[in-house]
Amino acid sequence: MSNAGFIIGSYVLTFGAIIGFALRTIRLGRKLADDLDDSEKPWL
Amino acid sequence: MAVNEPNLQPREASNSARNRRRVLPMVVLALVFVAGGVIITQALSTAVDYYCNVDEVGLRSGCDEGRRLRLQGTVGEDSVVVTTSATLFDIEFNGAVVQVEYEGEPGGIFRECLPVVVHGVFDAQSSVFLGDRVEVKHSEEYVAVNDDRLSEAESAACTPAT
Amino acid sequence: MTTITPTTKSSHRGTGTTATRVIGLLATVMCAWLVVFGLILSPADRDQGDAVRIMYVHVPSVWLAYLAFIVTAAGSAIHLFGRRHSLQADRVAGASAEIGVVFMGVTLVSGMLWGRITWGVYWQWDARLTTTALLFVSYIGYLAVRNLDGTREQLARRSAIVGLLAVLEIPLVHWSVKLWRSLHQEATVLGTDLDVSLDGLMLFSLFVGVVAFTLVFVWLLLHRARTMAVVDLAAQRRLDDALIARRREGGN
Repeated sequence: MSNAGFIIGSYVLTFGAIIGFALRTIRLGRKLADDLDDSEKPWL
Repeated sequence: MAVNEPNLQPREASNSARNRRRVLPMVVLALVFVAGGVIITQALSTAVDYYCNVDEVGLRSGCDEGRRLRLQGTVGEDSVVVTTSATLFDIEFNGAVVQVEYEGEPGGIFRECLPVVVHGVFDAQSSVFLGDRVEVKHSEEYVAVNDDRLSEAESAACTPAT
Repeated sequence: MTTITPTTKSSHRGTGTTATRVIGLLATVMCAWLVVFGLILSPADRDQGDAVRIMYVHVPSVWLAYLAFIVTAAGSAIHLFGRRHSLQADRVAGASAEIGVVFMGVTLVSGMLWGRITWGVYWQWDARLTTTALLFVSYIGYLAVRNLDGTREQLARRSAIVGLLAVLEIPLVHWSVKLWRSLHQEATVLGTDLDVSLDGLMLFSLFVGVVAFTLVFVWLLLHRARTMAVVDLAAQRRLDDALIARRREGGN
């Protein structure tokens, strides 16, 4: 593959950014929502 | 004061952490305005190089030979000559042809039959366009590399993609 | 004798539900497909060579950024003009803008890498790139506005106005390549002539990318909006506690 560094780099950056944001969201959600009862969660 | 009536007097904030946190969005917002200004200024100052197609040189207002231009055209077939110090090639658009001399080797996927944008000025004597920057303008067409039918037909004709 | 009391821990950890788990699983599978199709199975382009593979992350991410910003505008409109001035709509707007900024950042960086290979330059101050950079910066501004000082309702109202104004930039970005001469190629799939100029397997890879990122977007949106709901709930609780505390003081 020509320019492999640039091409694979773009995939790594893309998925890295998505996974990073997802982990941050999930962690924060767990930290906050685990203190609640199920009845208090508006989405359940 | 009645019993169970809450005391609604404002009080001293017990900690300043919350206030400090609110400074950050203000800083970000200020930076956003600065960045917006920089982006617009940069775009406008680069737009000073007038964007012209090869066939518009000397015809369209702004596309005068005496000023810096961004010239768009397709690299002519068999026109690319690489010397030790420069790359020479023709760019064509709508039947008009301009000779280009570029100091160095163009980057990107530069080759014949691809549309390019060259930044530079015309040499007053030789009317060769002296480019100091070449960008390859890829078209919105995508063809698989092993699609022989299309690639042979198109590269034989060397049709400009714009 | 000690008895172990069973903990009544919720079966729904954090902000997850069965629906988000299913969507998350599908998103993961589709992202894996995207890597396989984008990097391995799809063919190289005649002119661009392997650089065309960047398209399968670049184009879906910009579409999802647009979609996210449109969802932000819709949420903002519902909050601003709805009779109940729904805070849920505001939270969806905010969550969507955050995800949109992530996708827009990804679009800019992958586009720069692609530009370096095909045009020979990382950046060029031309119409498409400049308007995209402005759009990105505008939504960072939107997120900053969401975090300024003010009551919950004030913040929701202010950010809804910004969200409705910022979305007007999207048509400008999309048609900038038509309006001004640009180094950037015109739209391949969403062009004006509705004629898709893309090889079959390339088009399929792009389709996989769009589906994958759409699932990722929905999954992130659900989790982020729910997290914001918990944050609002916690703030409301703190307020309630403070009121109770003051009532007690008043009783002394």
